[in-house]
Amino acid sequence: MPFKFVHAADLHLDTPFRGVATQGPLLGRFQDSTFRALTRITEVCLRERVAFLLLAGDLFDVKDRSVRARLALRRELGRLDAAGISTFIVHGNHDPLSGDTGALGLPPSVKVFGPDWEDVEVKREGRRLCRVQGISYPDVEVRDDLSARFRRTGDGFSVGLLHANLGSVEGHANYAPCTTAGLGSRGLDYWALGHVHTRAEHLLPGGGVAVYPGNPQGRHANETGPRGCMLVEVEDGGMRRRFIPVDGVRWHKLEVPLTGVSTLDGLLATAMEGVEARCAPELDGHAVRLTLTGRGPLHRELARPGALAQLEVDLREQLARSHPPVLLESLRDSSRPEVDLEAVCAAGGFARTLLDEVGFLAEDPEALARLWEEETLGALSQRLKRLGVDALEAPRAEWVVQAGLHGVESLHEEEMS
Amino acid sequence: MKPGLRIDTLRVLGFGRFSGLTLDLGPGLHLLYGPNEAGKSTLLAFLRSMLFGFEKRGQPERYEPAHGGAFGGELTLTTHAGPLWVRRIASRRSSEGELSVRDAEGKELSKESLESALAHVSRELFFDVFAFRLDELAGFERLTEQRGASEALVAASMRGARRLPEVMDQLRKSTEGIYKPNGVKPSLNETLKALEDVQARLRQEGDRPARYFAEKERLGARVEEQRTLEAELLETGTGLERLTRLEAALGDVAALAQTRAELATLPALESFPEAGESRLEDGLHRRRSYRAEGARLAERLATVEAGLERLSAPSGVRGREEALSQALAAYTEGAALLRALPSRRAALAEKQRQVELALRELGLPVDGPGLLALDLSVSVRVTLEELALRLGAAEVAHREAEGAWARAVSERERLDGALARVDAEVSTLPEERASRIRQQQAGLGRLRTVRAEMERLSEQRAELHRQFESVRTQGEPQVTAAVLPTWWVPAVAAMVVALAVTAWLLAGNGVGALCLVGGLLLTGVLELARRRVEAARDADVEAQRARQRWRQQEEERLRAALMGLSAREELLHRELLSAASEAGLNLVATAADMAAREAVLADALERAGRREQLQRERETLHAEHAAARREEHRASDAVAEAESRQEQLGTELTALLSERCFPPTLAASAALTLWRDTAALRQRLLDVGAEEAALTVDAQACALVTSRLWAEAVMAELLPGATEARELDAGVMEPLASRVAAALEAERARSLERRTLEERRHELRAEKARLDGLCHDEEAALATLLAEGGSADEETFRRRAAQARRYVELTGRTRELSHRIEARTGLSETPARQALIDVGGEQGLRVELESLRDRQGGAQERLKAVLTERGALSHQLEQWENDDALAKLRIVEESLRARASELAKQYAADRLTLALLARARRRFEEEQQPRVVQLASEHFAALTQGRYQRVFIPTGEERELRVGEGQRDWSAAQLSRGTREQLYLAFRLAVVRDFGETRGALPLIVDDVLVNFDPERAQGAIHLLAKLSEHQQVIAFTCHPWLRDAFAAEGARVQALDASTSEPPAPVSVLKAG
Repeated sequence: MPFKFVHAADLHLDTPFRGVATQGPLLGRFQDSTFRALTRITEVCLRERVAFLLLAGDLFDVKDRSVRARLALRRELGRLDAAGISTFIVHGNHDPLSGDTGALGLPPSVKVFGPDWEDVEVKREGRRLCRVQGISYPDVEVRDDLSARFRRTGDGFSVGLLHANLGSVEGHANYAPCTTAGLGSRGLDYWALGHVHTRAEHLLPGGGVAVYPGNPQGRHANETGPRGCMLVEVEDGGMRRRFIPVDGVRWHKLEVPLTGVSTLDGLLATAMEGVEARCAPELDGHAVRLTLTGRGPLHRELARPGALAQLEVDLREQLARSHPPVLLESLRDSSRPEVDLEAVCAAGGFARTLLDEVGFLAEDPEALARLWEEETLGALSQRLKRLGVDALEAPRAEWVVQAGLHGVESLHEEEMS
Repeated sequence: MKPGLRIDTLRVLGFGRFSGLTLDLGPGLHLLYGPNEAGKSTLLAFLRSMLFGFEKRGQPERYEPAHGGAFGGELTLTTHAGPLWVRRIASRRSSEGELSVRDAEGKELSKESLESALAHVSRELFFDVFAFRLDELAGFERLTEQRGASEALVAASMRGARRLPEVMDQLRKSTEGIYKPNGVKPSLNETLKALEDVQARLRQEGDRPARYFAEKERLGARVEEQRTLEAELLETGTGLERLTRLEAALGDVAALAQTRAELATLPALESFPEAGESRLEDGLHRRRSYRAEGARLAERLATVEAGLERLSAPSGVRGREEALSQALAAYTEGAALLRALPSRRAALAEKQRQVELALRELGLPVDGPGLLALDLSVSVRVTLEELALRLGAAEVAHREAEGAWARAVSERERLDGALARVDAEVSTLPEERASRIRQQQAGLGRLRTVRAEMERLSEQRAELHRQFESVRTQGEPQVTAAVLPTWWVPAVAAMVVALAVTAWLLAGNGVGALCLVGGLLLTGVLELARRRVEAARDADVEAQRARQRWRQQEEERLRAALMGLSAREELLHRELLSAASEAGLNLVATAADMAAREAVLADALERAGRREQLQRERETLHAEHAAARREEHRASDAVAEAESRQEQLGTELTALLSERCFPPTLAASAALTLWRDTAALRQRLLDVGAEEAALTVDAQACALVTSRLWAEAVMAELLPGATEARELDAGVMEPLASRVAAALEAERARSLERRTLEERRHELRAEKARLDGLCHDEEAALATLLAEGGSADEETFRRRAAQARRYVELTGRTRELSHRIEARTGLSETPARQALIDVGGEQGLRVELESLRDRQGGAQERLKAVLTERGALSHQLEQWENDDALAKLRIVEESLRARASELAKQYAADRLTLALLARARRRFEEEQQPRVVQLASEHFAALTQGRYQRVFIPTGEERELRVGEGQRDWSAAQLSRGTREQLYLAFRLAVVRDFGETRGALPLIVDDVLVNFDPERAQGAIHLLAKLSEHQQVIAFTCHPWLRDAFAAEGARVQALDASTSEPPAPVSVLKAG
């Protein structure tokens, strides 16, 4: 019996956006976008007449303590319940069971998996459609491979619903780590995963597939591009997957090359042109991070105190007037003066000494760690960690290399001036 | 040593006390010697300013000339890129002054060419290391501080790190601006503080969803409790209401019982007539009043009968009222006319008299009938009016023509007068043309300009001549160095040979050979000395020739300029001649002559202008005069025409008047007035005739009316004794009419009274009959009432009535109490009484009531509290559902985290860069520093004659400069002042030399830095400077003669600066340069 279901994850309802000012006309538009993404997911379910909806963890952030998020979830799932559509939920590291998830008061058609593995049959008109298995996070930190507890329990289509880090993707906490081989060995047809915010599909040995639909609404400059949910159609044992974007506000990272641009007005026009080309008009809004790259005559002018900030202000004002409005998250200058490092090394002198020192530190982690402590960066790192700021966790060799290049470039720039 | 920069000449245009000072320097060691206040420090500042710009305005080192004038100067430099000419002049736009740089061909170069020639040395480094005073020598101490020495040394000598101090400084500022471990204001500190605050506020907000759901649950419990309380309240309220009603009916139940007991004591009185007693009393009262009323009616009937009898007496008027009334009415109608007849007759006679008088006053030869016969029709009046109008118009035209003629005559006379005045004024003005006078004024102006130009030329010429003379007379001392003639050498050699031969002859071979060798050696030495002197003289001669050539070129230039000025002067002279002739002056005219001439010309120009103006005015006046004459003729013709027209109209008027018997000499307007008066009088005459006829008719009508009234009065016996009518005027008729009227009125009153009395009698009789009937009825009713009340008499009836009243009252009371009990309790009497018994009587009821009231109060209080809590909870939940404060706080927290992350990364990057630069600097110093330190050690050892052998900067964080003698070492602070200064000088010379080897040889300029040295070490220092000057220019200043001598001994080119003058100093001696 053919059926459809929708797989979404990492709703992060009502979580704050990074880089959006707390004041201003765009705030409301951005802050409502996670709710609207959920509403659109519900509408997809209703329109496609799906059998059920899978939500693979991180529906909201416990630390946000948002009442609105919980009410919105209850409201939207209530709509699905009224339409006879079931919902299966597992909780992830941001909304573990140890939080207040028990008091949500969700409709009866919603199945929330507990801290132990469960297997549920999905039926329609008295006939079994498929089986759904799932485990929720009891607490924030789950370091075990939860996928190992899953197993095929019978014939027919089987779905595993799990919040996990498949392949230990960097940039995401390594919770419930698992591998494609491990997932493949469980014999399930579809792994509905959550946790990694970037959409991905992994074909598993044995014919199954593990899918990250990504989060339905990007929330910062590292979550760019269309965001949405996965619509899966199952028929005769085969399945068709279709990604459906549901984001209202879209993030972009754009590079604006300085090459060939000789005036600030020209740079402004180039940036505006680039942004307009990327920002689709049908969305509620866009947010961009612009990075100036390359080498050009404007580099020195932009190095003047306040020049970049002024350019950023001008650009932000112009973009905010666009339709739909575009938020400039930040304007960053990654342009570089024209320094021939090889020539600098070959010529010897102080720069050579500097680069030698860089090489030495980059290759000696202990020396780097000593330098890190001498510069009191360790203490700062501890303080930042206490405040939950992700920066300067540990000294890295590439930072020293970048600092060395910065030193050479600074000296070079001064030479040119 | 890399090529750098050398100052060849300096020219001070204006700087401090110097102006127009020129000094030749060139390569090698130079000493500028002068006493205190000779301007040595000024010259040091001048050289600094020329190369790096003037100090800021207001700074003492700016040396702006006190008395104004040019501020700045010029330098001629030799650089690796060729000669440069540098000029810096003070400018308003920049405090540093305006710099211009040119090459040997005079082509303008960029400012960067000077910076390049200075090997991009910074201003600070140049002032610290290359051009300094004694007090700044010690200022080198700060370079030895941790931040200074090594960075400055690296910067001074390292390619690729020229701006290392600035970069490190920027990085330090950047890091300090971002974060300080214990700071408050840096941006990261502020951000972290804000983040801590936000997190604290978030903690204060607590776990809101948990609270939300807990509160929601609480709200549900409160809703349930509210429902229970409301049910309980309802039940309690019902019971309470029932008991309260019973309580309220308690009194009524008791009263009912009492009433029923009293009712049982009374007989049965249900059929006693209702309100029987009052009905009995009413019947008795009515019977008495009927009887009294009947007696009063009988009295009134007797009075009426007597009045009727009195009115039935006989009267003469009765039966004739109608005829009398008509006659009286006719008389009353004509009475007014009758009374007016005599006055109307008198007024008519008066009018007739006035008409006749007016006719006589008109003076016309006619009487009344004649007047009525005159033709005074409307057509005649119209003709007369038209004639009068035409005459009036003719007269107005005549007056206007006369007015126009008078005006024309006066205008002509005014123009005659104006013409005469203009002619008189023209005759007083001379005949001279204005253009000629203006030409003379222009000539005078040009004469003045040319003269001023000639004066300027002569000044320029004098200046050039003075320069020319100064160049020509500038002599060069002749090179008088005595040179041994060449022939002296062979002559001496010959003498030596001769002496050697003599010695050989006298003393033998050995002595001879010895003498020969010695002599030849002496000859050789002599030749060498001669050649050296000759070479020096040749060099001087060559320099002198060069100066001579420059002087000749300058002379040629000045001569050409002088010739050019002469030619210009000649031209101006010719122009002066032509201008003078044009202005009418001779060449020797003074400024006063020119001023007088200018005043005369201005006056003449003004008069010529006035004459031309007057002539134009006279022509205009002539034209206007002719026009006025023509106007005068035209006006006199118009007057004559008006007069003839007036005469014709007069004739027509005379004919018309004589036809109407009017006096023919009357004027038209008077004739018209007379016509109108005559016509009016005629109308009045006609009116008087009509009025007379009307009066006659009215008199006849009055006579008829009076005679009829008289006759009627006689017949009614109102005029006893009168038999016939006599003259019936108003005086007789008025009393008669009054009497008739009074008799008629009296008759009418009697008739009315009789009718009234008859009606009254009838009414009284009917009333008496009705009262009799009523009295009878009342008797019957009283008998019936007594029978109904079961009483034989009135007294018995009254007693039974009182009992019946009480019976009714008690019955009503019983009914009322029953109703009240039912209304209050909802129960009839018996169940209510039963209920009371059930509840335990009155006492039991009150106890039960109290208990229920307590329960109800408690429940109400609780309900109120529950409602309040429910409202607060709902409000709180609603607020949480819609409140975005927490979301905003989270946004702020995330924003602050993002910013803190950015800043921390930036801080770490800057700190790492800074640390890397510092490590690289230390490493570089360890590897590269020995060169500078070695040089400094060498110099210091040389200066201290080997007392101290080593200068070093210990590695580690202590970056101080230390010296050692092999066994022990000292810091700079531990040395004596002189030795410390020697150390700084040694170090500085090392940096200068190293800079010269790595980047470019720059001039070293020192201002009296050796005064604290003992003579021996000063000698050593000067020797070092002299040695340095072999590769780069060294310029020293001093005021001490012993130092001057020491410098001179080391081959310095010494030039003296005079304290009293700013003229260029004359060279004292030329010993060695380069």
